[in-house]
Amino acid sequence: MRLGERLRLRLAFGVLGLVPLFLTGWLGYLQVAQAGELPRDGRAPLRLEPATADRQAWRREVVPAPRGTIVDRNGSVLAIDCETYDVRALVAVPAKVGRTCESMRQWLDELAADFARAMVADPELADRGASLRGHLEQFRARLGAAFRIDELPQAGPVPDGHPRRADLRLCGDVDVLPVVEALREIGERRGSVTMHFLRTFRRSHPDRDATFGIVGHVATEWVEDPAGRQLRTHGVCGLESWAVLDGGQALARPFLRDGAGRPYFVGPLQAQPVPNVLHSTLDLDLQRAAVRELAQQAEAGAREGNVTIPKWGALVLVEIATGDVLAAASWHRGVARQEAAAFTPYQSLYEPGSIVKPLVFAYALEAGRLDWAHRFDCSPGGGDYRERIGGVGSRVVRDDHPCGVLTPHGILVNSSNIGAAYVGLQLDRDQWRDYMRFYGFGDSLGLQLPHERRGGTDARSFDASIPLRSFRRNSAISFSFGYEMQVTALHVARAYLRLFRGGDADLRVCRGVEIGGEWHPAPAASGQDRRLRPDVIERVHAAMVDVVSAEPGATGSHLHGRMLRESGIDLHGLVAGKTGTAASRIGIPGRGKVDVRNASFVGVLPAASPRWLAVCVLQKDDNARFYGGSYAAPPAVRLLLQCQNLEQRRQRHEEPRRVANGQVRDARGSPGDSGWGR
Amino acid sequence: MRWLCAGLLFALAVALAIGTVAIRAGNAALRHQVELTYADIQDRIVELRRLSVEGAEAAKPERLARSLWTHWHAEARRRQESLQ
Repeated sequence: MRLGERLRLRLAFGVLGLVPLFLTGWLGYLQVAQAGELPRDGRAPLRLEPATADRQAWRREVVPAPRGTIVDRNGSVLAIDCETYDVRALVAVPAKVGRTCESMRQWLDELAADFARAMVADPELADRGASLRGHLEQFRARLGAAFRIDELPQAGPVPDGHPRRADLRLCGDVDVLPVVEALREIGERRGSVTMHFLRTFRRSHPDRDATFGIVGHVATEWVEDPAGRQLRTHGVCGLESWAVLDGGQALARPFLRDGAGRPYFVGPLQAQPVPNVLHSTLDLDLQRAAVRELAQQAEAGAREGNVTIPKWGALVLVEIATGDVLAAASWHRGVARQEAAAFTPYQSLYEPGSIVKPLVFAYALEAGRLDWAHRFDCSPGGGDYRERIGGVGSRVVRDDHPCGVLTPHGILVNSSNIGAAYVGLQLDRDQWRDYMRFYGFGDSLGLQLPHERRGGTDARSFDASIPLRSFRRNSAISFSFGYEMQVTALHVARAYLRLFRGGDADLRVCRGVEIGGEWHPAPAASGQDRRLRPDVIERVHAAMVDVVSAEPGATGSHLHGRMLRESGIDLHGLVAGKTGTAASRIGIPGRGKVDVRNASFVGVLPAASPRWLAVCVLQKDDNARFYGGSYAAPPAVRLLLQCQNLEQRRQRHEEPRRVANGQVRDARGSPGDSGWGR
Repeated sequence: MRWLCAGLLFALAVALAIGTVAIRAGNAALRHQVELTYADIQDRIVELRRLSVEGAEAAKPERLARSLWTHWHAEARRRQESLQ
């Protein structure tokens, strides 16, 4: 190679070698020597360095943790969080379009039409035309407000400083695939529109009409916490208010986004814990039956046109061995949204009336204050009446029908107030106080349900300043047949549960919870360890069996005859129970003091060996004839019979499938397992 | 020979640079595709949950009974019309 050629080659390669050196130097000059800051309003200046560039590309998608799931005793879902999208759009008017007002208006109008068409992409939408018009109007208004269309001149160039970018929320709770795809397609087709699909949850209650009261509902509100202001969903009432259902910490997923808004995958969502599952004691089939029976009975009068309909009603069904509340139904007259009204089984108080007589007699028998073979003269003005009731002062006690001479068994069957007053007068003040405590009247139900009403006796009933004679004349006699005290339907159910199982028996609405997939059974009730003697329970129970019979004077004879006529079922020996009718005077907002009648019934089935207990109460605010045996008893008895039939049917079909610890397992895994966690 | 090696090395460096950029671009494009597929899967999870809840709702005894009654009424009407 000649010298000249060698020189030229060296020069050429030397120049090529200088290129990377120059690039490296230039990079150093830009990133180090020239590295500066951009001032920002109200925030620290933005450092112009490589880390800033990286940070701007990184995005973080935050997904709230789902709330826990509520299931019934057979695994049917009562409340569950369903995945949905909250859709936002970052709209930037293209420079070419944003030159004139006419083109900008037209472009925004077309965009509103695109959004509206996407929202009606669901092929199962009923009235697409009307829906499209509604959405179009809505999106036009939103885009108009965001881009201040009203302030634009009719024609000509768009004024400087007029907004050309806007971030707007399009819709929430989007969960229909065609709609989601149509919205995503807008973002792909229009480079100037960046769609954001924020993952969130919508609470779904599959059997809302049947379970609104006991399952309750949730509310979403803004809350301030150390992490900042954020939306949080919390339970308001019913089982939804239990803390175990609250979602945990929100989860995050990193991804990258370029300057054009295109997303790039970095990694999936962090491993999401399985939502907690609350296993309630409810039986969905029986709950539906209870709601149906109560509503049918309450509205029967309105259909027939000859009877007024009640003001409210409650019907509850309890499993005696466990205290599990299998069903709890509520009904109100003239309330468009039943779920907005009080849930009567534990929120509506009433005077129970004669329904408490078996409880009083059992207590008196246990306390040795009642001879079960004694015969009482229950005729008004008779010898016993003058001596026992007349002896405490001027108190008048009446019966609905003449009763004559009765044993305690007969008093319960005939529901004689006079006879009950004789028994009640055998108990002293301390015993009455103990009676209230033993049966739990005035105490919390312990179900951990908010806004529970406790009821109980009048504040002055047990006041020590009230003379004993006055207490006996007023309170003792009233307590004997269920007056001067307030209860809810579930209080009555618990009292009867304690009659059969003892003072430590309590109701429960939760069988256990699954936390992180691990089963935790509900703790056993730890009440007073007192039980009534078996012979006491047997005697009272025998009287309750005869209440539902064709026996003349039996308060359940109407029910017995009706079921025999309508269904061919002889209830005597099948269902045991007690009726109750009370006339009270209560204050109603806007109406002042009003006379009301409470018809109630408590029934157990099978009568020979009680397994289920039903309590029904209906309250009327007029003077119509209204009795526990004829109005409150039929729905309770029909529910008990359905309960028995359902169990037989399930035994035949071997359902549900339970594992050894009683937990119900769905073959597809936990019902609350969110798909977004995987 | 030395110059030939130097030239080849330089060409290799350029090829490596181009190759690296191409792989990175391919990687970015693939990440975008994965992100779109991921979003697609999430959309179907949403749809699946909606359909499962709707399916459970549709299988309620009351609703099945109602649809059975509707079907019977329609059938009875059809038979009555065919008789006339």
